[in-house]
Amino acid sequence: MPTASTLSNNFFRSLWIIAQFELIRLFATRRGLLTLFTFAIVWYFMLTGLVMTAADFIQQNASGNMSSMMLNSVGFGQLLAWPIAEFSAYWRLSLYLFPIFSVLFAADQTASDRDRGSLRFLTMRCSRDSIFLGRFVGQMIIQSILIILTLLSTFIVAVYNNPEALMASIQCVLLISTNLLFVLLPFTAMMALLSAAVRSPRQAMILAVLIWTLVSATLTSISQHWPIFEFLTYLIPGVHLDNLTELQPSETLSLAYIPALQTLVLLVIGRFVMARSSV
Amino acid sequence: MSLIQCQGLNKKFAEKTVLHDLTFDLPNGQPIALVGPNGAGKTTLFSILCGYIRPTSGTVSIFGKAPGSAELFGRVSALPQDAQLDPRFSICRQLMLYAQLQGFNRRNAKIEAERVLSLMQLSDVLHQKPAELSHGMRKRVTIAQALIGSPELVLLDEPTAGLDPVNARNIRDLVSEHSDTTTFIISSHNLSELEELCDTVLHLNNGRLQQQVDLTGTQDTQNPLSYLTVQMDNCPADAFIRRVSDIPGVKAVETRQKNHFLISYYLINTSPLDQALLQCIKDSQWEYRQLIKGKTLEEQLFSNA
Repeated sequence: MPTASTLSNNFFRSLWIIAQFELIRLFATRRGLLTLFTFAIVWYFMLTGLVMTAADFIQQNASGNMSSMMLNSVGFGQLLAWPIAEFSAYWRLSLYLFPIFSVLFAADQTASDRDRGSLRFLTMRCSRDSIFLGRFVGQMIIQSILIILTLLSTFIVAVYNNPEALMASIQCVLLISTNLLFVLLPFTAMMALLSAAVRSPRQAMILAVLIWTLVSATLTSISQHWPIFEFLTYLIPGVHLDNLTELQPSETLSLAYIPALQTLVLLVIGRFVMARSSV
Repeated sequence: MSLIQCQGLNKKFAEKTVLHDLTFDLPNGQPIALVGPNGAGKTTLFSILCGYIRPTSGTVSIFGKAPGSAELFGRVSALPQDAQLDPRFSICRQLMLYAQLQGFNRRNAKIEAERVLSLMQLSDVLHQKPAELSHGMRKRVTIAQALIGSPELVLLDEPTAGLDPVNARNIRDLVSEHSDTTTFIISSHNLSELEELCDTVLHLNNGRLQQQVDLTGTQDTQNPLSYLTVQMDNCPADAFIRRVSDIPGVKAVETRQKNHFLISYYLINTSPLDQALLQCIKDSQWEYRQLIKGKTLEEQLFSNA
C-alpha cells in the first residue's frame, strides 16, 4: 500500500515527466521545430526592424527636453528611464507581444489530447493534477527559454552598441526576464484553464479572445458604474500591463503580486475544471 | 478482496439515463466478459471504471479504491475505445512516457516499451509514428500500452474489433497466457471469443444488468437438467431429433440454427450422454462438426429456454 509520502513523490515525479515531455514536443518534433524556426524568423525581423530602430530613435532623442516631453505626451515617457535604449524598446515591445505568443504557444495544453483520447492513456498512470500542472510548468519553461533567447540576442546588440554598459545590460536582462515571467504566468494559466474545458486549441484561443474583449469590456464597464466591483477587472490577465509601462525600471516588480495572484486563482479554477471534465 | 464492486450505479447524460442502478461484485481471477448490444452502456461502464467519467450516483470501487485514484496507477490499465496515440511522436517515445509515469526509469522504460510491442509482434514499429501504421497495427499498439508494467487489471474495450483473424487470435492467446497474473475485463460483440476466454459474463441491456453468468458451470448445481450443443454436418433435422430423443435421459432436442441442436437431458441416474450421442451419430452414419458441453454463451444470454 503506497504511503502519503510516496503518493506525493509520485505526484511531483509525474508532474516533472509531463513537463519535460512538453519540451520534447517543442524541441524534438517536426512541428515544434517549425514553430521555433518561425518564431526565430519573426523575432529576427522584430529585433532588426523594431527593437534596433526604436533604440536608435530613443538614443537620438534621449538628451533633448522637447523629445522627452513629446514621448511623455504619448505615454512613452518611461522609455527614457531604462539605462540602455535597446532594452527600453525590448521592454515596451515584449510587454504586449509576448502575451500574444503565450496564448498561441499555450493554447493546446490538454485540448487535443482530450479530443484524441490520449489523455485517457495518461490518466490511468498519473493524476489529472499532475497532468494539468505538468503541462503548465512545461509551457512556462518553454516561454522562459524563448524569453532568455530573445533577451540574449538583444543583450548582444546592446553590448555591441554600448560596450561600456555591460553591467547595466546584465541588470536589464535579469529585471526584464523576471518581469516577463510574471507577466506571462497568468496568460499561460488562463490557457491551461481554457484548454482543460474544450477539445481543440482553436476553441481555447477563441474563448481567450472573447475573454480579453467582451468580458474585459464588460468588467471595465461594470467597475466604472459600480466602483465596488473594480476588483473584478483584476481577474483579467494583463490588466496591469499599462501600469507597468509607467513605472521606473526598479519599481516594475512592485506589481508582480497581481499576475502571481491571478495565476494562483486561474490554476485553482483550471484544476477544478480539469478534475470535473470527462476525458 | 473483490476486484470490482458496483452499488446502485447510475449514469445520466443530460436527460438520458445510460446506466440504471447497476449492482454487481466481480471476483479477481479469470477473464470477465462484458456483453450487450450497441448502446447497452458497456463503454460508459468502462469509462466509469477507468475514471474517465463520474457516475451520476452510486458507488464503484476497484481493489477497494475509487476509480482514478492514485493507488490504482500502474495496477489498472485500459484499452479505451477509439483513443488514439499522439501522431507527432514515435511509438517508442509515447510508450516510454507511459512507462516512466508508471515508475520505470528511462532505460527500463525503453526495455518495457520493446517488451510490450514484442508481445503484440510489433517490434519493428518501435520508431515509427502512429500515422505510418495500419488501423489494426495502431489498435495493437494501444493494447500494448495497456500491458506496460504488467498491471493486475486490464480493461479491454472491443480489443479485436477491426483486427484480421490472425491478429485477433494473437490477442486471444495473449489474454489466455497472461490471465494467471492479470485479470482481463473484455467488452466485445464476438460471443464465441468471449466464451473461449472468459469464466464470468456480465450482460448489459439498455443500461441494466440483465444477468451475470458463470461459464464454469459450477454454480447451477440445483438444476437437474444438463445440456449439450451439437453442430452437425448436413444431417436431416427430423431424423436427428427423433433418434437423439430416444437416447435414455434426453428430455428434449431443439433446433437452433441450421444443423445446430440443443439437447437437454437429466444428469442424475444416466450414463454420460456425450458417449451415447456420439454412438448414435456413428450408428446413423452422420458426421458432426462440433460438440459443446452445456449451452453456448449466445444460447445462455439470448434464449429463454
